[in-house]
Amino acid sequence: MLCLGIESTAHTFGCSMVNSKGSVLSDVRDIYKAPEGEGIHPREASRHHMEISSIVLQQSLQSAGVSMKDVDIIGYSAGPGLGPCLRVGAVVARTVAGFYKKPLVPVNHALGHLELGTVLTGASDPLVLLVSGGHTMTLAFSHGRWRVFGETLDITVGQLLDQFGRALGFASPCGGRIEQLAIQSAGKYLQLPYVIKGNDVSFSGLLTAAIKLTEKFYTPDVCYSLQETAFAMLAEAVERALSFSGKREMMIVGGVAANRRLAKILEASCSRHGTKLFVCPLKFAGDNGSQIAWTALQEYQDSKTHVRVEDSFIKQSWRLDTVDVSWRR
Amino acid sequence: MHPTLVKRGAEADIYLTEWGGKKAISKVRTPKQYRHQALDATIRKHRTMAEASFMSAAKSAGVMTPFVHFVDLVDAEIIMEFIEGDSVRDALTPELCYEMGCYAAMLHASNIIHGDLTTSNFIKNKKLVLLDFGLSYYSERTEDVATDIRLIKEVFTSAHIAVRKTFPNFVEGYASIAGKKRTDKILENVKEIEQRGRYARVT
Repeated sequence: MLCLGIESTAHTFGCSMVNSKGSVLSDVRDIYKAPEGEGIHPREASRHHMEISSIVLQQSLQSAGVSMKDVDIIGYSAGPGLGPCLRVGAVVARTVAGFYKKPLVPVNHALGHLELGTVLTGASDPLVLLVSGGHTMTLAFSHGRWRVFGETLDITVGQLLDQFGRALGFASPCGGRIEQLAIQSAGKYLQLPYVIKGNDVSFSGLLTAAIKLTEKFYTPDVCYSLQETAFAMLAEAVERALSFSGKREMMIVGGVAANRRLAKILEASCSRHGTKLFVCPLKFAGDNGSQIAWTALQEYQDSKTHVRVEDSFIKQSWRLDTVDVSWRR
Repeated sequence: MHPTLVKRGAEADIYLTEWGGKKAISKVRTPKQYRHQALDATIRKHRTMAEASFMSAAKSAGVMTPFVHFVDLVDAEIIMEFIEGDSVRDALTPELCYEMGCYAAMLHASNIIHGDLTTSNFIKNKKLVLLDFGLSYYSERTEDVATDIRLIKEVFTSAHIAVRKTFPNFVEGYASIAGKKRTDKILENVKEIEQRGRYARVT
């Protein structure tokens, strides 16, 4: 069975072909680049998606060496995300599904990260740290759903890095540049607020304080201190979740999983608990169509769940812990 | 008796040891190599101090806690009384949830916010004993009280999903001490915090 997955929650428009073995036959994406010092403008990003969508879809078919006739089902990211961007993906999915008469499967974007992460890394029952621009959560699977063990109480770690980077005049996503700058620091730590509330974290105070420090201190030192503080908070949240849940596996997914320093810190905290760490491959850490295709495929194969084109929807707010996952036991 | 490692917690190692000829627990916040040394030292010292003082403060609020024998701020170590019994996490019953609610309300009545109110921090002895005050602080704000309650609510709905309808028992216990009016106000605030959560509001 072959599935076309369409991703368009934020800055990425992607189309992928995935088969029922979990092999990615093609993964084509085009990312909207914000102007320097600015974030993702939903209208501008959706305009980008519209202009690029047919080319991305075509390239995805071509590089997989298939035609639309070979595709069995179509999955699209229905949320959570930016409304205007989600709408573009949904319109493309509806059009293709309606024209070629293929079943249409709405997918929760965050669930996609988790499901693709587990199939690519081979983790069977991990504690998950989902870190991206939209999410910062620790999760574990229990009784039919991914349950949230802890999460951010305000902004995500991706937003923390992006908004801090924007204050320095960078364009989103800024995580890579901040990581590069941090490496230039000689390891001078500037004190920043470290906020843990039980199993939850909060980054908003850290953001304000870090921006303020840039007025007086050497930028690489501020970047270094920001990373060290934020990632130590995440590591503690993970250790709390590991110690409580007793999970033997831990997986990290989402755009911020691409940060090497974070992976290194988590490696150290996992080894303390004798837990095996799985890091989602760099290429599939960020948003992509494959995560949508693979999730749609599993859902359809398990329960034939799909929606009619006229009933298809998008949900800007759609929490991961409200989604039933019937295929995972 | 040579100290033996009992549990490797999230932020501290727990050893079984001896104090004055009796079984005792040594809780050591060992340095974390992955954390910057300056940050690590501040956190360890602050939490050890908070834990030791709030363990005593909680007693005056009517909450059972282990007796503190010895505190070492340099090595971030606390030696405390050994409590026999099982963690409530592994043996959750509606009655225990009610009792936990009472304990939370008693702490809050003395303006103590526990900061890490989870089922694994309660031990069932003859009475219920509460541990782990490393994240505790004083506050009168309803928001901070609600943060405490939200945490345990999250634990009930994630880790203890199999034991259904336990949170209402907790609330009942809480209200028996704090009164219905105050409890409702806090629960209202808990809802508000949940609504602030990412993607919680459905549009």
